Amino acid sequence: MAATVKVMRRPEPGKTSYLRAALKGMGLTFKHMVNTEKVTLQYPEEQPDLSSRWRGTHRMEVHADGRPKCVACGLCPTVCPANCIRLVGGEDDNGNRYPIVYEIDEFRCIFCGMCQEVCPVEAIHVGVHFENGEYTRDRFVYDLDRLMEQDHAVTHLWDPSDPRSE
Amino acid sequence: MAENGQTQETVTVTIDGREVEVPKGATILEAAEGIGTRVPHYCYHPGLSAPAQCRLCLVEVEGAPKLQPSCVTPVRDGQVVHTESEKALQMRQGVLEFYLLNHPLDCPICDQSGECKLQDYVFAEGRKHGRSREPKRVFGRDDFGGDVLFYGDRCVMCTRCVRFMDEMEQEPLLTVVERGSRSVIDTFFDRGLADASFAGNVVDICPVGALVSKDFLHKARAWDLDHTPSICPNCSQGCNIELHTRDDLVQRLKPRENQDVNAHWICDYGRHRYEWMNRGDRIEAPLVGRGGGRRATGWQDALEVLLAGLEGAAGPVRVVASASASNEDLGTLAALTHALNGEGAVFRSPRAADEVALPGFPKLKRRRDLVPNRTGAELLGMERVGEDDGSGGLTEARDHEGVLIVLGDELPDQDGEFGARAELYVHLGSYPSAAAQAADFVLPITTFAEQEGTFTNFEGRVQRFWPGVRAPGAARPAWLVLGALLARLEGRAPETRPAEAFGRLGSLAAEFQGLAYETLGTRGALVNEPLRIAGDR
Repeated sequence: MAATVKVMRRPEPGKTSYLRAALKGMGLTFKHMVNTEKVTLQYPEEQPDLSSRWRGTHRMEVHADGRPKCVACGLCPTVCPANCIRLVGGEDDNGNRYPIVYEIDEFRCIFCGMCQEVCPVEAIHVGVHFENGEYTRDRFVYDLDRLMEQDHAVTHLWDPSDPRSE
Repeated sequence: MAENGQTQETVTVTIDGREVEVPKGATILEAAEGIGTRVPHYCYHPGLSAPAQCRLCLVEVEGAPKLQPSCVTPVRDGQVVHTESEKALQMRQGVLEFYLLNHPLDCPICDQSGECKLQDYVFAEGRKHGRSREPKRVFGRDDFGGDVLFYGDRCVMCTRCVRFMDEMEQEPLLTVVERGSRSVIDTFFDRGLADASFAGNVVDICPVGALVSKDFLHKARAWDLDHTPSICPNCSQGCNIELHTRDDLVQRLKPRENQDVNAHWICDYGRHRYEWMNRGDRIEAPLVGRGGGRRATGWQDALEVLLAGLEGAAGPVRVVASASASNEDLGTLAALTHALNGEGAVFRSPRAADEVALPGFPKLKRRRDLVPNRTGAELLGMERVGEDDGSGGLTEARDHEGVLIVLGDELPDQDGEFGARAELYVHLGSYPSAAAQAADFVLPITTFAEQEGTFTNFEGRVQRFWPGVRAPGAARPAWLVLGALLARLEGRAPETRPAEAFGRLGSLAAEFQGLAYETLGTRGALVNEPLRIAGDR
């Protein structure tokens, strides 16, 4: 396709007034001053209202006695499309299967939420959370203790029987 | 099934609308397997008797008033069988529902998950949801001794394990106690499976997660494992096995069926000796030079220098080989020795005091020779020296003054003085060794788990194995390294495939003539008569 060239006429210096354009712009500005539908959020003083289906960084649920709920079944590392979960299973003194190593690389994670969906014991969850700033990159590999410490709300995944979350 | 084809009578049956001709006396289940129709079953195992008690292989046979257990019903001429008819499916669904009445459904923490027949069958044919509201009976778990752990709740009472101990091990250490829904597999008082030599097989034949291996417990998930056909390297029986690997580490060994060698079984001795395949202390690059002047280099460079050294060396060539090396490795070594006008090679191999046989399949024994390829080494003209613990016998090699080549023997009983007087000492090995200190060349070679090749077992059966894990660093198969040297000596292109290295064996030993690498397949083939090696292996 041949390129079409539109020739713009430059305003000629000294023969053009900017007053009309300036007034038009200011008019728009003042219109927004009295507009009720504000979109600017005064973050961080104001926090955004996240959807309950927001999928952020992970959280591991714990039992009342402080043990992780995870039973190291290996389904989340299997289903994870980003291959960001590392799991080494083992057995504790009471014969319970538990994760000796459970690490999630939050940089690799694509926050699809499949780990939460596949978990048979509702241990790993993606969270309603987004403030994850750190000073070093290695802090983004969350180990089991860190995942258990997280206290943000967990995500409600999409429920096929209630597609509109009603 | 049929040992001699021509005298075998056959009958024709129709299974799911497909006509199939099978030997007379075969069961419906076997006939169905022949055309690729898998009838679900627990208690039937091809290596054991069939008590027809699991009631899962019931199929509809036209003319029969009730569904027939296909594992024990012999085929009749003109029989019409429906394995997937509505009646059969409904029955199987009902049987599976009964199996789940007391099953804990603890798949997430069960080691069998992913290779569990209950999981498979229920997923394929069972009810979507359970209807039982009654409490489940709970047994907990029981240590059966040895490597075997028993989770009674998961058991489906197929009694394969009981029959294995009765019929194969012929040492009835397991039995069913109690009755009805309380029946459970148990050992006799405190006597567990600890002193049984083949008990690991009950873990393999258990269709569910009731019997699991302590060694493998929580180690890996079944779906994470890669399966590589291989040959057990722990004795000269040459059992067909599979290497189950994950992350380039061997996680466990499982038997692979071969009726000519080990049927469906392997011994615990071989099963549990796999950790050495995962050793991390490996030689990863060719090392050239003695003592402080030693440096790591590339193959090209190392072989150039080595070739110049070999051509310049005047002394006689002496070779120490290993019966753990493949036929290809040893054959190439023998050809190289011959090209250098060397003497016949020696090897050392550990030898156990006695054999351990499986009474139900007496051909399967843990043989006295604890190396996989003694027969291959001896057919290729190598001589066994040293003691039965695999030491000694190297006084001549130790102080040899000409060219000394060591292949695959770690020489654990030798010190840094080994080969110090040699004019040229070439050490091909996988692991760093004190005895390689004086070597002019230390060349990294792969283990059997990292290369393709063949072993010759005690009776002269040549069997192939395949690489299951990646070789570390620059380690290469010994036949490739030695073949490159030999090719340069002879001024031709080197072999690049193990089949080519195997092809040379026929010219070295008449027994190997006529064997072709491609036709060995997964079952192996016997070397030609007369087998020059005799006696008890």
